Formats: sequence, C-alpha cells, structure tokens
Amino acid sequence: MSEIPLAQAAKRVIPWWLLRHETMLALILLIALIGLGGMNSRFLTLDNLLNQGRLTTEVGLIALPMTFIIITGGIDLSVGSIVGLCAILLGYSWKTFGFPLPLAIGFSLLVGAAAGFLNGIVITKVKVPPLIMTIATLALYRGLAEGISQARSVRGYPEWFYFVGQENLLGVPAQLWLLLIAIVVSAVVLDRTTFGRTLYAIGNNETAARFSGLPVDRVKLIIYTLSGLMAGLSACVLVSRVTTTRSDMGIGYELDVIAAVVLGGTSIFGGVGTIWGTVVGIAMIQLLKNGLALTGVKGDATIVVIGTVLILSTLVASSLQRRREGV
Amino acid sequence: MTTDPHRDASAAPLLSVRAIEKSFPGVRALSGVSFEAARGEVHALLGENGAGKSTLIKIISGVFPPDRGEVLVDGKLVDLARPDDARRAGIATIYQELLLFPELTVAENIFMGHAPRAGLRRIDWRAMREKTNALLASLEIHDLQADRIVGSLSVGNRQRVEILRALSQDARILIMDEPTAALTEYDVTRLFDIVRKLKARGVAVIYISHRLDEIFAIADRVTVLRDGAHVATRRVAETDAAGLVQLMVGRKIESLFPKVTVPIGEPVLEVTELERQPLTRSVSLTVRAGEIVGLAGLVGSGRSELAQTIFGVTPAESGETRIGGQRVDIRSPAQARSLGVAYVPEDRGTQGLVRPMTVRENFSLAALGKVAIGGFIDRGAERRLAGDGVRRFAVKTSSLEQIAGKLSGGNQQKIVLGKWLANGPKLLILDEPTRGIDVGAKAEIHRLMGELAAQGLAILMISSELPEVLGMSDRVLVMREGRIVAEFSREEATQESVGAAMMGSHENAEKAA
Repeated sequence: MSEIPLAQAAKRVIPWWLLRHETMLALILLIALIGLGGMNSRFLTLDNLLNQGRLTTEVGLIALPMTFIIITGGIDLSVGSIVGLCAILLGYSWKTFGFPLPLAIGFSLLVGAAAGFLNGIVITKVKVPPLIMTIATLALYRGLAEGISQARSVRGYPEWFYFVGQENLLGVPAQLWLLLIAIVVSAVVLDRTTFGRTLYAIGNNETAARFSGLPVDRVKLIIYTLSGLMAGLSACVLVSRVTTTRSDMGIGYELDVIAAVVLGGTSIFGGVGTIWGTVVGIAMIQLLKNGLALTGVKGDATIVVIGTVLILSTLVASSLQRRREGV
Repeated sequence: MTTDPHRDASAAPLLSVRAIEKSFPGVRALSGVSFEAARGEVHALLGENGAGKSTLIKIISGVFPPDRGEVLVDGKLVDLARPDDARRAGIATIYQELLLFPELTVAENIFMGHAPRAGLRRIDWRAMREKTNALLASLEIHDLQADRIVGSLSVGNRQRVEILRALSQDARILIMDEPTAALTEYDVTRLFDIVRKLKARGVAVIYISHRLDEIFAIADRVTVLRDGAHVATRRVAETDAAGLVQLMVGRKIESLFPKVTVPIGEPVLEVTELERQPLTRSVSLTVRAGEIVGLAGLVGSGRSELAQTIFGVTPAESGETRIGGQRVDIRSPAQARSLGVAYVPEDRGTQGLVRPMTVRENFSLAALGKVAIGGFIDRGAERRLAGDGVRRFAVKTSSLEQIAGKLSGGNQQKIVLGKWLANGPKLLILDEPTRGIDVGAKAEIHRLMGELAAQGLAILMISSELPEVLGMSDRVLVMREGRIVAEFSREEATQESVGAAMMGSHENAEKAA
C-alpha cells in the first residue's frame, strides 16, 4: 500500500472542510448576521462592526493563548484577575512610583508574565491540576489588585496613551491591528511549528508526548506565562480604552474567554482546536450580544441566547467528533 | 428466550453461525463466515489483526447486526439486535478491556443489572453475597472475596470476576477475546483451569488468541479467518503450529525467530550500579553494538522500571551510565533521545502512540527536529519521513492522514518502532515489542530487529514470552525484584534455566513450565 495518500480523501462524499466545526460555526455566524442585520439597519454597518472589534479585543487577546492551554487539556481561570492586577499596577506604578508611562506599561506586562509563570511552574513542578491552581490564583491576584488599589482609581493618563484604545489606524481601530497580528502569529505557531504540534500531542496523550522526548513541561510553562503576558497586554488596551484604572477590571473575563474558545470548537478535554475556531467564537459571541442589544433584546435574554448557542455548538462538536472517530 | 440447560443434547450444535456477511463503509469485514461450537467445546478463532475476528464476535454478541447470515443457538434462529438479546440467548462476551466498575465490590460487579431482590425491590445483599460465594466455590476460586473492591484486584482476578458475571447470567456460550493478553503465566494457568471446568459443564467457549501454544493447550477445534473470509476449521489434534500460521497469513513463515548472527562491536550502553527505588536496585549491564540482549523476568520484576530509568522517564538516583563510552546523566526522555537512546514502551496505547493523531504526525513525533527548520515543520519533509516509514515497515494504512488509533495493534506497533528509528538511534530499548500483535506482524518485527542489529544497533529487549527471549537474544539477563539475578549466553539459555532464574528456585520453575 504505497500509492495511498490522496485517493482515499477524494472518495469521501462531503468535503472534509465542510464538516469542520469552524466551518459550521462560520455558517451559523453568517446566518445570524444576516438575520440580525435584517432586523436592525444599524447592525450590519462597517462602523458598528469595527466598533465591536474594538470592544472585543481585550477578550480576544487572552483567548489566543487560552486556545493553546485548552488544547493541552489545561485551563487558566486566573486571566481575569491578572487583567485586574496588571491594570492596577500600570496605574499605581505610574502615579505612585512615578514610573514614566512606557516603563509602567513594561512593568505591568512583566507582572502579567510573572503571574502566568507562577501558574505554570506550580502546575508543572508541583503537579497541581491547572483548574485548582488557577482558581487559587484567580482569588490571589484579584486580592492583590484590590489590596494595592485600596479602591482608588487612577485616571488622567497622557493623551498619547489613549491612541491604542480609542483611535483608528488606516480606518481600523488601533487595537484591532494588535489583535490581528496576534491572531496571525498564534495561528501560524499552532499550525506550522513543532511548538504547536507539541501542544496537540500533550492534549491527546501527555504520557506518549513525554515518552517521545517532547519538552512537555517547558511547553506548558511557556503557554501559561504567555497567557499571563497577554492578559497584561489586554489590561493595557483596556485601560487605554476606558481611560481609568480600577481593581475590578477584567472580572468574569475568564468565562467570556473560555466560552469563546470552546464555542470555536476547541475540546475542553484537549487535543483538538484551532485559532480560526477561536476567532469565529469570539466574533460570534460579541456580534450576538451586540445584534441582540440593537434589536432591543434585554441583557438577561442575551445571556440566555449565548448560553443556548454554546450548548448547541458543543452538541454539534461532539457529534462531529464521533463521526471522525467512527464510533 | 430461556432454555433448559439440562435438556437432552440434540443433534444441533449449541452455537451455529452461518454465512455471516458484514460490510462497513469502504471495507468488507466479513464475507460468508460460518462455524459451529458444540456443548463443552473450546473453539478457537484465529486470524491476524484485521482478519475479522472482532467483527464476528461483535455480531454474535449483538453489538451490531450482520448484513447477511444467521446465528442459531440450539438449532433455533436468534435475533441479535442488541447485546441484551445475546445475553438472553445465553451468550456472554469477555472483551479485552474488562468492563468492570472499579469502585464497586466483586459481588456488586457480578450482579450489576440483575441483583437479587428482596421486598419492595430492594437489593437483597445477603442473597447477593451468598450467590457470589457459591459461584466462587463452583470454580474453586479461593483468593477472591465477595466484598473486595474490584479496583484493588489483579488483572487475573478482575477477569475471573467477568467470568463469574457471565456465569451468573447462565451464559452457555462464553466468548473470550484475547483473555491472556495482559495475564501473567500463573494467571494463564488458572484461566485454563476455569475454562476446563466450564467445558465440563457443557459451556461452549469461543476463544480468541494470538498465542498458538494456548490454542494447542486449551482448544478442541480452531477456525482460521483471513481477510474476512473463513479459511479452514481444523481439529487442534490434527494440526500443528506451522500449519496454522500458514493458514493465517496465507504464506509460509520460514522461521518464527530468524536469528542472524552478526559481529558484536563496542559497548553502546554501560550501566553500573544503577539505583532507583523501589524497583531498580544496583543494576549493572552492558549492551554492545549489534547485540540483542534479552531481559527476562516475571511481571513486576522491575524490567520496565529499569528501561524507564535508563531512558530518563524516572531518572536514576545513583549509579553510572555510559553511552558509547561517555559518562552521561540522563534526566529526561528528550536528553536520552539526543544521546541516541530510543525506547519503545510496553503500553502502546498510553505510552507509545498518540492514538487520535494521524499516522504522519505519529511518525514524526520523536523526530520533529529532523523535519523542522527553525521550529517550523516542513510538511513535505514530514510526509516523506512518514511515507518512508510506512513503506519500510509495511504499515497497512489507507493514508498518511489515517488516525493511528484505528489501525490494528501490529500496525500501531510498527509506527511506534518506526517513529523511534527515524531518529537513527544507537541503542534501542524494546519493551514487550510483540505483545498483542498477530503472527505476521510479529515475524516482521523480529526480522526487523535482526536487520537493525546487523546494522550495528544495540538492542535491549524486554519480553515476557520466553520463546521470544530465547529465540532473539545473543545474551539473556534475568531480573527479579529489581535486581539482575542471572545472565546466560545464547547457548546456556533454555526454558528451564531462564525460567528457574525468573522464579528464584528450580521447583517453582518447573511448576511454571
């Protein structure tokens, strides 16, 4: 059997890419867009869509490394708290320590990375399950943020700092460029590199990955650190957009992020998932929220709709999974 | 459907399977398979992986219906639409993966789904315990108690629980799918005792195994399947191993262990007083280029633990390791790999293969550095690497994008072996390289080992099959309780001498033989 590769694939009746979770989700998204657009003329405008992109960047930036983590079978619940901690430290170090703002930004990114690194080191060395460790740091980092801020907010940043959060670059919200770059880099890393392959191998069979000599612990350490770093970046973008720093920033982000990643077809059990899926997941959640709000649906009902969509997509995903495995 | 088990043995065989056909999308799994099993007969089903044995037993157990053909029990047609239908027809199946509830007791497992009831449909615990004890006594099992938690039992005992479970449902036809695959030699002996008792009671046992010696030890008749077709049914007494192998693979296999003598070179691996508690105790050994060293021992004697210590999965606590004369301190598999050490682990499914990933991805997993430039995977190079592997090891797969877990055990093992050889190692540690794979694939792996040794690879082979150890090795080391207790040259090594060293005494060795 040497003349194998393409003949079999061509035999299948339905093209493989149509059966992919990402494609199905994109189709649903398209239908929802048209539907919501038909109900409200303000929804399907370039301005509105770009503005939604602006609003979703903070969650999007964190969802990318979260995709990596969930593909390995892990989870990071502390990202929302890291956003809070980094936002506070950005304001605090600038205002109280008198750091120049660029240094303060660097400092808060560093703290974000360090917070993620701490998660990673305990998960890999002490073998604490990621769920437990990051629930603990979810509380810990939020507590630190509140302790440092003492419920005081920081405002009055220099004008240039608001560029990322509020201005446009080439007609597109500035932070959206940041997100786009991050998406492309993450997608290439996941799909094309040995690092990405290692993530899938860990998620599918960590023991075999280890026995194959893959640097399992190092890779895990890197993704949790990256997760913290991106949460720090997200904090800076958020502060730049809303112009103020408060310790309750980023509360509940972890759930938005995980919802988007899982909605995008990444298996919570690990081993399966793509960046494109996550991107569609993020877009879907944000546009559903916005579209429903514009159509006059109340906030509570919006959450119900999103929950329902999430359940439906999980059902679709698991039936596709069964199909692939031929059970 | 209920039948009186004591009814006069009629002319009809207890189980009769007629002209079964079954196709899956793209594959003809079975084409017109027939066989019969009489009361008190042990009927073996033999065939390479992929020959259709599993499909056949799944049809008889009602897991899925055949496209054509029929199953008769006691001469009466039975409709096996669901597993429950098979159970009511008196057919019970013991699969390779035992389907027990590890947190529950022996009695609860046995009577799961059909517990004896007291008033108000409460479970009658006392009756359940008594019935369990009666079942245990009927098979003369004395080291198992009704209230033991199943999770704490040995594999052999868990299997006995499954058998009891089948008997508790009055099974008259018992299908056993590779029952000895995970058993120690002692448990195999006990299993055979039980099978003989069942035979005496008139139960028909359908016995599936790759191990020819077991078929000769226990079966009355054997039906050979090949590529989904019925090849032959023979009385075991009227056939021999070579004949069966030929029927199975459709070609002659010259020798089961084609040992090639090659010049033996410099030491590749030298280990001195290696320690890693609890099961690697002051181990010293040497493996030379071109040499195949067999590592024999009972299950739990510390052979895999030693291999994993050398390979850096569980790094040594003390002792000295030299690779090619250089002193090294291996702390991780990655480091072992870069030093030219390869380890094909014992448990293919959990340690060797990433089952949900494709053949291509599995082949390149341990050699990603070879197909990547600056961390970026070169897809073309990866496909070439995997394609070469598929050809070199004759892996039967529909494509490189096939999910590896869907292949047969033999093909999976070839992938695990191939993925390590892609790195061009100097030392290859093989842990049970042919466990649970069919005769054809086994012969190919043995042939390959000879080839690799001829190319100067040093091979350390762990195996629980004595004939394999004796047939393939230049030297045999025996482990017991974490120590190497004996060493034999190829000439000195015999079933008796190695067996005695494994057991720790001559009397025991005779018992095991």
